[in-house]
This record gives sequence, C-alpha cells and structure tokens, in this order.
Amino acid sequence: MRIQDMIEGRKEWRAHMARVKALPQDYQIVYKEIQRYLIKVGPVELSEGTELLSGIVDLFEEGAAGGQYVLDVTGRDVAAFCDELIKDSKTYADLYQEYLEQKK
Amino acid sequence: MLKGVLEGCVLEIISRKETYGYEITRQLNALGFSDVVEGTVYTILVRLEKNKLVETTKKPSDMGPPRKFFAINDAGREELQRIWAKWAFVSSKINELKEQRT
Amino acid sequence: MNFWEKITGSDMKKEFQAFEQRVQKLPADYRAAWEQINTNLWAHSDFTGRNLMPIFDGVLGLLEETAAEGQSVVEALGGDIKGFCLAVAGDEGTPTYRDKWRAQLNNNIARKLGK
Repeated sequence: MRIQDMIEGRKEWRAHMARVKALPQDYQIVYKEIQRYLIKVGPVELSEGTELLSGIVDLFEEGAAGGQYVLDVTGRDVAAFCDELIKDSKTYADLYQEYLEQKK
Repeated sequence: MLKGVLEGCVLEIISRKETYGYEITRQLNALGFSDVVEGTVYTILVRLEKNKLVETTKKPSDMGPPRKFFAINDAGREELQRIWAKWAFVSSKINELKEQRT
Repeated sequence: MNFWEKITGSDMKKEFQAFEQRVQKLPADYRAAWEQINTNLWAHSDFTGRNLMPIFDGVLGLLEETAAEGQSVVEALGGDIKGFCLAVAGDEGTPTYRDKWRAQLNNNIARKLGK
C-alpha cells in the first residue's frame, strides 16, 4: 500500500512511533485502533505526512500527563471522534468517485 | 446542530484570551456542555487552524508536554461575527415558531 | 464503471430495466441528476447492489413526484447530490464498508480496554 511505503522506514515515522510507545497502555491501544481505521478510510492527509497522526499523539500525551482516562479524552465513540477529525478531508474513495464522474 | 454551535463557542472563548484545548474543554463543561471531551474540542481546533481562523504557539507547560495555544486572528474575528449573526437569525426564528404555539 | 457491469442476477436486470424505463420518462435535468445519484449510491453498496433496490425505487419515486409538480431538480434535491445520496443511503440503513470499519474500531477498543 502506498501510504505505508511512503511512511515506513522514514525517520519521521520512527520518531512518531517512538512517541506512541511512550504512551500509557490504554492510550496506545486506542491510538493503534485509530491509526488502523484511518488507514482504511484513507483521508489524503495520511500520504502528506504524519501531521494528522502526530496531532492525535499530542492530544494523548496531554491527556495522559493530566492523568485522564483515554476514553474521557476521545469520548466513548472513538469512530465519531475520527470522523469528525477528517470531516473536511477527501478520502481516496472520494477521489475515485470524482475520477468516475470526469470520465463520463 | 450542537456541533455548529460548539464551533462558535470555541472561537468565542479563544477570542477572549489566548488559551489551549484542555482549558477550553473545562470552560465548556462548566457552561453545562457536560459531554464535551478534549477530543471534541481537538477536532474543532484542528478545523479552526486549517481554515486559518486562529494563530498557534507552542509553549512549555509545568506538567507534561508543551501545550499548543490558540489566539484569534482577523479572519477568525470576522468568522465569529458571521457565526453570531447566523445564530441570532436562527434563534429568533425558533422563538418566533415557539410563540406561534397557542 | 457502468452500473450494468456490476449487476449479477437476471432478476435484478429486469428490475433495472424497469427503473430505466421510468427514468426515460423524466425531464432532462432529472435524468442527468439520476445518473449522478446512481454513481454515488453505488459507493454505499456491496457489489451486487441488491441492497440498493429499495433505495433506487424510493429515490425514483421522489424524482417522479417532484418532476410532476414542475419543480426543477435543483430545487428538489438542494443541489448537493452527494449529500443527498449519503442521507438516503443512511436512512435506509445500508451498511457500508465505512460503517463496518467504524463498528470494528469501537468494538476492538471496547474489547481491548475492557478488563
């Protein structure tokens, strides 16, 4: 997959994952599930760098430092949190859709 | 409907004084929006920043990682005016509708 | 990709032909909108499109009604065809991949955090 190729192995990505690993266990679990979901949905920001994902780590680091429970930071409906986060972003599915419309 | 209103609230809070996510969340909680969490505010802040309605600065905090502070800019102030004008319109219409009840 | 290409069973072919005949009776702007709706709705479907049949029927019904009232298609759908499709597909409870992933995300988290 393209996104993986672009980010895997890169220094930025390793530094990012190191921050994830420093989070408390419950935050790590939620982070990893969020990342998996976002890669599937495929907002275009994912291929533009780690900004989207590292923003989430920023948020989680702050929550963890304040001793909050992870779901009190994201809300119980983590999917809703993710969707809200990428609400204005185009996904690969959107791009494909536009391509289809142009082809007509 | 609440989502749009919250965006206005967050921008309003930022317009009063430079502040950060956690503080904004607590302020909204204190206002009575009890189910608003950091994550909710975070998604709004990301959008405000992307739409260039706020300026951000990272500042060290005495506890934990550095904090991102948000301050309103001119575009943000204009947007805020628009938001409140829209809100005034919507709430006056809702009241009008309610008063038609006999 | 044309939606005909995605159709599998012949029972569905018949249904689609019936839809197509109804579409031909619509005014030109409605026919154009229908084409777009078609493409958009497929994004919310599995590949056979069986779960879309009742939605197609409902949407066509709406288009026929508003066309009969002499409204323009933009007035009827509000100009945002994609949003309209999202709303109808959502209303009918069509499970999309995105919905499945959403549920997976929340379930995985609940399972892994639950002690």
